[in-house]
Amino acid sequence: MNQYKMAIIGPRETILGFKALGLEPVYATDPKEAVERLYSLKRERTEVDGESINKYAIVFIMEDLARGVTPDDYKKLSAEPLPAIIPLPSHLGTTGYGLQKLKTIVEKAVGMDILS
Amino acid sequence: MAILNVNPTRMALLGLKKKLKSAQRGHKLLKDKQDGLMQKFMEIIREARRMREEVEGKLGAAFKNFIRAGSLMSEEFVEGALLYSTAKTKLAVETKNVMSVRIPKFKLETEGDVITYGYLQTSGELDMSLQSFQDVFPLLIELAEIEKSAEALADELEKTRRRVNALEYRMIPDLQDTIRFIQMKLGEMERGSIINTMVVKAKIEAQA
Repeated sequence: MNQYKMAIIGPRETILGFKALGLEPVYATDPKEAVERLYSLKRERTEVDGESINKYAIVFIMEDLARGVTPDDYKKLSAEPLPAIIPLPSHLGTTGYGLQKLKTIVEKAVGMDILS
Repeated sequence: MAILNVNPTRMALLGLKKKLKSAQRGHKLLKDKQDGLMQKFMEIIREARRMREEVEGKLGAAFKNFIRAGSLMSEEFVEGALLYSTAKTKLAVETKNVMSVRIPKFKLETEGDVITYGYLQTSGELDMSLQSFQDVFPLLIELAEIEKSAEALADELEKTRRRVNALEYRMIPDLQDTIRFIQMKLGEMERGSIINTMVVKAKIEAQA
């Protein structure tokens, strides 16, 4: 079993609290920057027993930033099993992006939205 | 319905029959896989929705606390207080194989304390907010695991469905049509040659 790290992408003032929990804070204020950070986090790898693995297993990202990630980019970013990219609602409250994402997943799998 | 581009010979017929058999077998297997995936997906997706709603509620409250703490203290103080946090999180990841989809399993190991600052210069809200962050954290990991699994399953389901449909509505009917076509053609040739021999025989008999 391998050890991985976690990261969180968001504006400075919101994600500061997560730093205390031991997550790697990655500051980004606009979606374009966030996408760049996502790519670089995905690229980072570590050597374990001579095997190269992803450094980060989970990357949390603030919803308002995740909104700006284009479907193309998202597809590329989430193609491999790791890292998992998970949108989180920010302090402004939920924007429904997370549930929207679940909906698209269901539609993709089943052909129609059966959740609602 | 299309007839494949093959020569109507016995050789081709045999080859096509073999192909049809393996296509039907593949179709059955893929259909089973699709059913299996769908069952798993249904289990997961409802759980994912429930988890997300729960996390969003709890996280919102945690953020509110944190923002309130930030507004009561200057940013430098907050950052300074959090600088020496001894909390370390490690994430162990196992991958489980469900119907050839690799699903991650996260296991969180935390050590150290989150609150390692003096109480004098920090507000009580900061303590509260960090506590609530810490409470939500395991849920976040669970959510990550479930959502990633759902996503991977959905991807695989879509691919499998495409394959099943391609076999069911394209490949198998095409093969069947072509086989019928070759059989008819061969039959026609056979009848043609019989007629030919009959005509030749009749001519020979007429001459004799």
